[in-house]
Amino acid sequence: MKRLHLSYDMLIEYSKAVERCNFTIKCIPTDSMRQSISNVRISISPDVKYYYGKDGLNNIQIYGVNENSHKTFRFHLEADARTGLSEYEKDINDDLDMIFRHEHGLNTAGENIKSFYKDIWLLREADDYSKAKILMHELNANFKYVPLSTDVNTSAEEAFTQGHGVCQDYAHIFIALLHLAGISARYVTGFIVGEGQSHAWVEILHNNKWYGFDPTHDKIVTDGYIRLGIGRDAADCMINRGIMHGGGPHTQTITVQVNEIEK
Amino acid sequence: MENLALLEHTDTVNELLARYGVRFGIYKNNEFKEQLFPFDAIPRIIEEQEFAYLEKGLKQRVVALNLFLKDIYSKKQIVKDGVIPEDFIFASSGYMVECEGVTPPKDVYSHISGIDLVKGKDGQWYILEDNLRVPSGASYPMIARELCRRSSPDTFSELKIEDNRNYAKLLRRTFDNVNTGGHTVILTPGRYNAAYFEHSYLAEQTGAHLVNGSELVVKDDKLFFKTADQKLERVGAVYRRISDEYLDPMNFNPESLIGIPHIYDVFKKGNVALLNAPGNGVADDKGIYYFVPKMIKYYLNEEPILSNAPTYLPFYEDDYKYVLEHFDDLVLKDVAEAGGYGVVFGNTMTKQQKEDFLKLLEKEPRRFIAQEVIDFQDLDILEDGEPVPRKADLRAFVLMADEPLVWKSGLTRFSRNPDSFIVNSSQGGGFKDTWILSQ
Repeated sequence: MKRLHLSYDMLIEYSKAVERCNFTIKCIPTDSMRQSISNVRISISPDVKYYYGKDGLNNIQIYGVNENSHKTFRFHLEADARTGLSEYEKDINDDLDMIFRHEHGLNTAGENIKSFYKDIWLLREADDYSKAKILMHELNANFKYVPLSTDVNTSAEEAFTQGHGVCQDYAHIFIALLHLAGISARYVTGFIVGEGQSHAWVEILHNNKWYGFDPTHDKIVTDGYIRLGIGRDAADCMINRGIMHGGGPHTQTITVQVNEIEK
Repeated sequence: MENLALLEHTDTVNELLARYGVRFGIYKNNEFKEQLFPFDAIPRIIEEQEFAYLEKGLKQRVVALNLFLKDIYSKKQIVKDGVIPEDFIFASSGYMVECEGVTPPKDVYSHISGIDLVKGKDGQWYILEDNLRVPSGASYPMIARELCRRSSPDTFSELKIEDNRNYAKLLRRTFDNVNTGGHTVILTPGRYNAAYFEHSYLAEQTGAHLVNGSELVVKDDKLFFKTADQKLERVGAVYRRISDEYLDPMNFNPESLIGIPHIYDVFKKGNVALLNAPGNGVADDKGIYYFVPKMIKYYLNEEPILSNAPTYLPFYEDDYKYVLEHFDDLVLKDVAEAGGYGVVFGNTMTKQQKEDFLKLLEKEPRRFIAQEVIDFQDLDILEDGEPVPRKADLRAFVLMADEPLVWKSGLTRFSRNPDSFIVNSSQGGGFKDTWILSQ
């Protein structure tokens, strides 16, 4: 069990002023069996009224419209988390579980992933948890981490075919492989201890419980992870979505820091 | 029938329809073309008794479909109980995860349903397709009736025919039932839409404002309509005639320019009604069609009153075998296509086409349904003043207001090509009025 402090900062800088901007941000971690979240502080600048809602998969979102001319948009989040409270997640409402058994969008397997899967030797009698471990290991050994080598719309098959990618791609390919093995799997966004960006991993359903697997690091998810959102693929848990009127080209800078809180 | 004075006025009515702008727009080869939707003056006539039977069956079907939608986007009990395989829900392009856990006002999902039927030579009616997203077509028989009454008033005083001009009233009742407080608007994608005539006509008839996306705005978790003098007026119900994907760029297709950002968020909070509710595509998919009779039994514990056309799902091994053995007798439909596209008849394929198709079927069995070709009753149409028989179907309109309502009329569409079974207006067909006798 760990006590962590999370700080997330997203800064968007426009080359020209934006006259109006609609935004939806899914970046508020919630309590689950594994983690307990407290002291959540949100700030948006320029200051604007925002509203709370939930998406279809129960991820919290805040949304609103900024109708004043602005050249920067900043979302900042601070929160404390107690992590590693349980080995697994179990949702109070499990009606959604069956959704994650089916391929969708970016996690769809193509010919290359299918033929890779065929060559992986899985014991038929093995349980889903053990199979997932083998699949994760095989993927990790055959796929290379290369920063910036894919984008948010890269599919599992595209990334796998080029042989390298980032955490999002590891997660998509892993989900595709799990589906081929008949295992329910979902995409998870969140944060890991240290400095950097947001992270992505996978939860697999085993005996009606969701277990976290991190294919980028070939390891089981521990108390060093804070879960943010879940989805079928990355598109379901996109952290930031916006429509701008005006603005021109822009840059986005994301800074994430997760520290252990001193006892 | 041939003696009806009305028939002499066919050309007059068509001229009037053209003058009123009754057109049907379609995109063909990336070009927008508006074509007239030819009216044939010989009505389809349905006896009172027969329509009463249809009415009962249609209500039953639409009630079950609404319960199905509520179930799919919440408990999914029908899937858990093994009545419908998961594959037909979650792999369907009509299933929208965004709709999970969302309850529309009064639990109504499909407020306006267009159910397509045909009458077989055996005298039996068969359901061909359910349209629960944005079914169009009611305005055509409405205006045709109006014009026929004007050109041939005697016909309508001699015969006892249900007045179909009450559709606007039924629609209004449907709007008012779910309105959360405020104006009712009809949301159109604009004049380049195939059904633009209908949008403006229904707005005029129901007294709702006709608006496009840029005239609606979300503020403080509520929906407003911008008046000409830039005032904001609260909107409580949107009869939207744009598809789910384009409705809200913040929740669905981000590229949409005709949608209203955050309208779906407001809907989720219960602050506006959307007619029809987003996500309905999961229930009118051609694959799901097969399961509608099972839904009726499952949710209502009743025997289905109206039958489906005999349908096979190659997804099931037995059905797959049947399809291979009877290929030439069947019509095959791609579940993802609509408007008469993606439909092929086994007996009209060349050897090569058939081979290619069978390969595709083996690879993606879930993608297709196969149906017996129903030998439907032909209806006469006038061609150069002479009656000739043509294939025709009937789109019945079922509205979910405080109770289910079936409009006592409907859109009868016919194929102008004597050899074609496809009657969709986008494929160049024409239409007839549908008369329901009131005694």
